[in-house]
Amino acid sequence: MIATLVEGQALLETVVASLVAGVGVTLAFSIAIWGFGRFADLSRNERPAAAGAAAAAAGLALLGVTAAVVAGIVVMAHK
Amino acid sequence: MSADVILVIVVATALAFDFTNGFHDTANVVATSISTGAARPSVAIGAASLLNFLGAFISISVAATVANDVVNSEVITPTIVFAGLIGAIAWNLITWSFGLPSSSSHALIGGVVGSAVAAAGFNAVLADGLVGKVLIPAIIAPVLAFGVAGLSIGVVYRVVGKQRPGTVSRGFKYGQIVSGGLLALAHGTNDAQKTMGVITLALIANGSLAANADPPLWVIASSAAAIALGTYSGGWRIIKTTGTRIIKMDPAQGFSSQGAGAAVILASTHFGFPLSTTHVINGGVMGAGAAKRFSAVRWGVAGNIVFAWVLTLPAAALIGALAYGVSRIFGTGALGPVLVTLMSLSLIFAVFARRFQRGSPVPASSG
Repeated sequence: MIATLVEGQALLETVVASLVAGVGVTLAFSIAIWGFGRFADLSRNERPAAAGAAAAAAGLALLGVTAAVVAGIVVMAHK
Repeated sequence: MSADVILVIVVATALAFDFTNGFHDTANVVATSISTGAARPSVAIGAASLLNFLGAFISISVAATVANDVVNSEVITPTIVFAGLIGAIAWNLITWSFGLPSSSSHALIGGVVGSAVAAAGFNAVLADGLVGKVLIPAIIAPVLAFGVAGLSIGVVYRVVGKQRPGTVSRGFKYGQIVSGGLLALAHGTNDAQKTMGVITLALIANGSLAANADPPLWVIASSAAAIALGTYSGGWRIIKTTGTRIIKMDPAQGFSSQGAGAAVILASTHFGFPLSTTHVINGGVMGAGAAKRFSAVRWGVAGNIVFAWVLTLPAAALIGALAYGVSRIFGTGALGPVLVTLMSLSLIFAVFARRFQRGSPVPASSG
């Protein structure tokens, strides 16, 4: 009864999309902050290779966040 | 002639509602950014206004739900829509005066349902649409935002828990500029559409548009402008409640609650659920607070907010029904809506005059 009233499939997809987008973007942004923090610490300790890896991780995570934000806007624009 | 006068009053009242929606609901959008210091109040509100305006142009699926899925558009007249709007505006102003972040969406839907029932009986309400597209999402949305924000803040503390607090705080403040912007955009897509839906409903009822028609461009543009102007006017009482009274928020919690809010609103807008942005954002704030420490949430304040949420639909419906009844005392022409408008404006003016006599409603720190 409730499933037919609320279009269960659409509601389930809303829940899944919200969880993936909300937690996923926060995770990616946290990794970016962690990466930049580690980059600063490792650079001060003169460990360039590890610092570079941390910066790369941060950059990739930021790219992920940007992609998610753009995807969100594109999804809206095509509705 | 009389029908056209009523239509003009309805459109003006709908835009007035949209304005109250802007300063009432959008306070929630900027509250977390302001309270964590991620953005200066004037910058946060200016940016939110612009993004609300732009967001209103992105999608019209929620507008279609309000116009077609909650009440039977065949029995709806412009006077019913007008009375519903009066119910929504009145409830928005009442909750605003208590600083309670209640749902403008539910006030609008409640007002229209109440006036429709007063005019045409319970047959005017599409029960399946009301339950399936409004009531059940209303319960699920804040719980979902609570869960998403709670999980998110757990992830944040696990990933950056051992980093320097200054770096983490600065990073999330930058992040809040983006998450707050996305939230404002999502808010515009969701909330401005409700006014578009109501104006479209009135145009259909007046015979100016075909049934199931999409909102015309002028409806979209004027709704976008009204909500943006309302946003720019600010809603400091509600900013204070959401930003500081539910939890004492750090930038990571602000980012998590805004991210969760934006994700839930964008996803639900995509699937056409007209949920309350207020419920979602406040659910997210409570989730981000409770996940850090359950007692960090001031549950008394949260309880008052939830109580206002529960009351919103029936209270707005009652006022909407009353407004319709008073309008109909003066017949089916334009006189009733004109008199109700004048009475409402007088009441609003009297309330604001009393408030300003007691002192400015805007806190000195709002700046």
